[in-house]
Amino acid sequence: MTGKFEKRGFCQVKRGLAWILMGGLMAGMLGGCQKSGAGGETSGRTEQIGQLEDGQGSGAEVSQAPGEGKSKPGAMGRYGEIQVLLPESVEGQSYVGFLRGEGGNMELYTVEREGDAVKVTDAFRYIYREGAWQRDESWEGNGILKDRGIDLANVAYGPDGKYYVGGTDEEYIYHLFRLDGDGSSTELLEDVFLPKDGQSYGMHPPKFEILEDGRIVVFDYYEVNVYDASGKRMFTMARDFSGNTGDRRGFCEGQEFVTVYEGEIVRYSLQTGKIVETVNFDEIKDRWGSMELFGDGNGGIYVVNETGLSHGNRGGTLWEVLIDGSLTRLGMRSLNLQKFLEGDDQDFYGVFTGEWEKGIQMFHYKYDPDLAAVPPSALTVYSLEDNSTVRQAASLFQSSHPDVRVEVRTAVENGGAVTEEMIAGLNTELLSGKGADVLILDGLPADSYIEKGILMDLSDVAGELEDTGDMLNNLLEGFRQEDGAVYQVPVRASFPLLVGEQKALQAYSSLDTMAGYQGERPLMRITNYENLLRKIAHLRYEELFGAEGAVDREMLVKYLETVKALGDANGSKMAFTEDEFEKYFVSNHVVSDGITGSATEYDRGVCDSGIERMDGYWALCLAAEVRNLHPESKFMPAGKIYLPKGMAAVNKSTANEDLAKEFIRCLLSYEVQKEDLVDGFPVNKKALELWVETDRPEYSIGSGYGDYHISGSWPDIEARREIAGMLEGLTVPVVVDETMMRMIVEGSGDYLEDKATVDQAADGIMRKLSIYLAE
Amino acid sequence: MRKGKIWITAALFGMCLFVWTPLLVMAAGVFMPEDELYWRYLSPLGLGRDRVRAALLPSYPSLEALGELLIRSPGFFVMFWNSCIQVLPMLLGQLLVGAPAAWAFARFRFPGRRVLFGVYVVLMVLPFQVTQVSDYLVLDRLGLLDTHLAMIVPGIWATLPVFIMTRSFETVPHALVEAARLDGAGEWYVFAHIGLPLGYPGIVTALMLSFVDGWNGLEQPITFLKDKTLWPVALYLPEIAGDKAPVAFAAALIVCLLPALIYLNCQEELEMGVAASGVKQ
Amino acid sequence: MAGKERRAGGRGRPGRVKRRLAPWLFLAPSLGGVTVFTAIPFLDVVRRSFQDAMGRRFVGLENYRAVAGNPAFRLAAGNTARFLLVCIPLLMVLSFGAALLLAGGEDASGESGDLEDGIGGGRDGRNRRQRGNRYGIFRTTLALPMTIPAAGMVLVWKILLCPDGVLNQFLAEATGQVWEVDWAFSRWAFPVLIATYLWKNIGYDMILWLAGLGGISGELYEAAKMDGAGFWARLRYVTIPCLRGTCGLVGILSVVNSFRVYREAYLLAGSYPDSCIYLIPHLFAHWFLNLDVQKMTAAAVMLTAAAVIPAAGVWIGRRGGKE
Repeated sequence: MTGKFEKRGFCQVKRGLAWILMGGLMAGMLGGCQKSGAGGETSGRTEQIGQLEDGQGSGAEVSQAPGEGKSKPGAMGRYGEIQVLLPESVEGQSYVGFLRGEGGNMELYTVEREGDAVKVTDAFRYIYREGAWQRDESWEGNGILKDRGIDLANVAYGPDGKYYVGGTDEEYIYHLFRLDGDGSSTELLEDVFLPKDGQSYGMHPPKFEILEDGRIVVFDYYEVNVYDASGKRMFTMARDFSGNTGDRRGFCEGQEFVTVYEGEIVRYSLQTGKIVETVNFDEIKDRWGSMELFGDGNGGIYVVNETGLSHGNRGGTLWEVLIDGSLTRLGMRSLNLQKFLEGDDQDFYGVFTGEWEKGIQMFHYKYDPDLAAVPPSALTVYSLEDNSTVRQAASLFQSSHPDVRVEVRTAVENGGAVTEEMIAGLNTELLSGKGADVLILDGLPADSYIEKGILMDLSDVAGELEDTGDMLNNLLEGFRQEDGAVYQVPVRASFPLLVGEQKALQAYSSLDTMAGYQGERPLMRITNYENLLRKIAHLRYEELFGAEGAVDREMLVKYLETVKALGDANGSKMAFTEDEFEKYFVSNHVVSDGITGSATEYDRGVCDSGIERMDGYWALCLAAEVRNLHPESKFMPAGKIYLPKGMAAVNKSTANEDLAKEFIRCLLSYEVQKEDLVDGFPVNKKALELWVETDRPEYSIGSGYGDYHISGSWPDIEARREIAGMLEGLTVPVVVDETMMRMIVEGSGDYLEDKATVDQAADGIMRKLSIYLAE
Repeated sequence: MRKGKIWITAALFGMCLFVWTPLLVMAAGVFMPEDELYWRYLSPLGLGRDRVRAALLPSYPSLEALGELLIRSPGFFVMFWNSCIQVLPMLLGQLLVGAPAAWAFARFRFPGRRVLFGVYVVLMVLPFQVTQVSDYLVLDRLGLLDTHLAMIVPGIWATLPVFIMTRSFETVPHALVEAARLDGAGEWYVFAHIGLPLGYPGIVTALMLSFVDGWNGLEQPITFLKDKTLWPVALYLPEIAGDKAPVAFAAALIVCLLPALIYLNCQEELEMGVAASGVKQ
Repeated sequence: MAGKERRAGGRGRPGRVKRRLAPWLFLAPSLGGVTVFTAIPFLDVVRRSFQDAMGRRFVGLENYRAVAGNPAFRLAAGNTARFLLVCIPLLMVLSFGAALLLAGGEDASGESGDLEDGIGGGRDGRNRRQRGNRYGIFRTTLALPMTIPAAGMVLVWKILLCPDGVLNQFLAEATGQVWEVDWAFSRWAFPVLIATYLWKNIGYDMILWLAGLGGISGELYEAAKMDGAGFWARLRYVTIPCLRGTCGLVGILSVVNSFRVYREAYLLAGSYPDSCIYLIPHLFAHWFLNLDVQKMTAAAVMLTAAAVIPAAGVWIGRRGGKE
């Protein structure tokens, strides 16, 4: 009997345990949810903006039930964005600082910097008075800096009413001064910035702040140090480094310092240097992690980044989105946010720059009760993965159409994987006569969409654009169907560029010549077989897949044998071990077109030719340097093929046909295409001309491994022109069917590893291919 | 006899070995620090080719992955909560709507009964893919898309629970029902006081299976919920696949924890209910 | 039965009218919702199967002709049939076995020389429950796999099944030879898929069997035992006949769940796996990705008809035989 009771007892214990665990789990999840969840429900959405009648005071209302968050049609009021005119002289100058100075006036600091950064230049101060910016001719700072030989890098206005400036001397050593206001200046923390023993560079703080008690807070990359006036370090506070040497995320307010540490916003006490509060802000993070942080004067925190401007109260865990980034310049990829300041009237000022802190632009964000909370009409753009040019166009389109909300929907964020369900979800919408107005077809079954009549014929738009002569017609023409219809247009293009001697380059003309190449060294560099398979499939696309886009068995065998011959020659493998990573400078990483950049390998004498994917002039830096080092070598495109990117199309059942077509025009317009977003060359001729003309002497790129080192600067205009010329001659867009490619990769492994014959491999692949094609 | 018991236990052990091995491999993965995971499972993670060094116990147990998930991923909490919001009302609805229907199928003889029941079965077997577009259109017409209701409402009228409950109600002794009717009990009374208590095991089974299906469903939310802030936790897993493998294990554990715990509870309820119906027959 | 009720209703007593209405009242809430959320979509599917992909044009039986002649469809249908024929009986037998074992050393094996069996006297529920607890650990763990999402298990399957994986290592140990089979990507994918299906569903089905077993009166066993029936005889003449209803239930649910095996297959072996595990859901998924809904709906209607018509035929035949 006792046994029975024990068993019963056990049973109850088990059940009790299960209940407790379950309760705990639910409570924990609920708690966790309350902690940050409400923000999640509202993350990055516009709907909240409509509810901010009284500015930031209504934070509590944000945590409403999901579903109610959808703004009612007709709700009014949102922050508008107005560009603030800057004096003409600012153009061409570089941004240094934007702050509230003496008398609470906004001040903008710039320098006139040309090329080489380590050179003393003129510094300027502009003051905003009565609604206009004026240069402050009487600023003593420039004179003092010139005397001291300092190139201005940072400015701060101290609580003591004095200005503090920092910058580098000609030795590239940083100095910090207080401008005493009478024409004299005092150097501070002199020793702090000197190179430490054994290092060639000293600290170059991205930012510093002066506290009420005279202490100085100096930002370094991974930490922030607090010094007393005598230069003694009191304590150090750790922070995250964004990777950008201008990472200024963090601010002091009262006796507290707020920054980002381990992916969360943290509040340090400036008395102890210890963390007193940690706030999660995942729901308002953007994909770059870059942002500006500033205080609201009451302990609250503002976060500004691509998603918009958000505010969180002290001790709170809710983020209230005040400004939706996608409705403003904040969402624009070509602009870098430098600094945000709160105005006097619950308004905000933001300063943005282009590259190298140049091209300063300022915008004023003011709550406008007459603006619809959400713009009355909407244009939706769908893409599987993030596309910078599309974002750029959306932002530009948004600013020229304030009554249209441009919503860019990406299925995958932050590098997740695209799944079949996502495409199936989109297809469901499309089949129901819905779905986004504009579709970016990369990764989507474009041919099926065309066949089923999902896409709108854009031949009118394309024809009209081609007629202007502004476009690279060769890149658009590749997408004209036999009946003259155009269903998709690429927004960017890249192409494989071959570098090597004549003999090696000639080998690229067919699979046979590739396989039969006899040279001192192998034709191509060692790589993993999947990349090799993909590379050859792209380079020899026309030969392999023919006009129908399908491969026959004979060609498949030839292709596999070619890959095997090339792989045998250069030692390629299915997968490398970690020792081999080092030894051969390889990896198991796979890129969709297999082009991993091998100009430097040619330079090193590993192979007789190199291949680089040209998706901007940055990719030419090293290749051009390699060609300079090998006078006998030359550049050649791989036949007439190019790799289109951002295939834009319009949903036939869109209700916004005109807007959608206008968006397509916007995507291809000079304004969008002129920006280099490192995602390919422009398809707009004028934009390409601008790219050719633009020199970037500051730019250089280096690569090294072991004893080998190479660095290249921005290619010269001849090289730029040569590449642009090549681009204008390319007519064959290559979009390899990923399903087929995967079948080939999976089916060829055994053969490439000598575990099966080429016939077995080809049979296996053909078996799957025939199923695929029969479907 | 003792010998018989040993054989039974041995047979069960054999079967359990088959079930346990993968479970243990997973459980070990949850508590492995990231570098150990990479070192052991380079090849399955698709990072290279190396011999798998499977382990049922991690060498350096760590709560890193669980911590990462539970503390650093608020998205996970939101999704977990979304799942609760979507699944629990659905279960309640299934009980309120499905149980009476099952009672009707099981205890009444009316014209069209078998045909109707057959229709329910056919509708139950259809895979989601087939009706996906049509479902979408219906939900769109009703304005339910992109709300939690898009998950809840169609789930309430799933026919699978009706099917399971019907089978269970059929085992309720006929004599008992007739006796009650003779005593003048109304149909609702009979259903509520005899049907529900005696059909308990079937109801619990049906709801539990519905819970598991609803909890782990992927296609429906991806199709019907554009707004990612409404996504249930099942979609967290595919999202983190790839380079975040350590978290994947932990997420799988947490995701299945609630269904597993509910099962642990139901298991007892189930047997009690089963036993009750057995005695009264 | 139905006929008898009708005649009874004919007497027109108010109570009888109520009784005739009662089932419909019970059914109404369910019927209404099912019509809207399940039946209407299904009818829409049938409609689509006679139209072109975008539902713009009526094409008659063209889709059916296209599907029937499609080699991919034939392959997938054949594979699916083979898969169902192998795995469903296997699953049902194994899960039934597990349930029998778990239902204790009592009902099934119970030569009641065992002391504890004697104490309880009757086989009442409580007794059975406690007995079950001896095997509670099995009971609990066998059903766990059904709660684990497929995405969470994929990595585990890869650890076990990849060429460098545990299974090959185990076989190499056992046989002393080198094993480098890529289980998920070769002809072995079929048994592998069946194993994952069994792994996931044994517990699911076992619960159903257990519920069924619990519903069998202990007195029946007592009576059988009195008559000197041994274990097998009791299984044959008591347990199995009593479980006919459960059997149908488990069978149908196993079929329903077999469609879900696609998730495992897809995650493990990709969307174009070895042709031996190319199943109907693969084909449907691909058709859907390429917007070939017309083919998909036609195929679904065909398969449904292929399952329903014989079943209906049998039923009508049986009813005809009775009358």
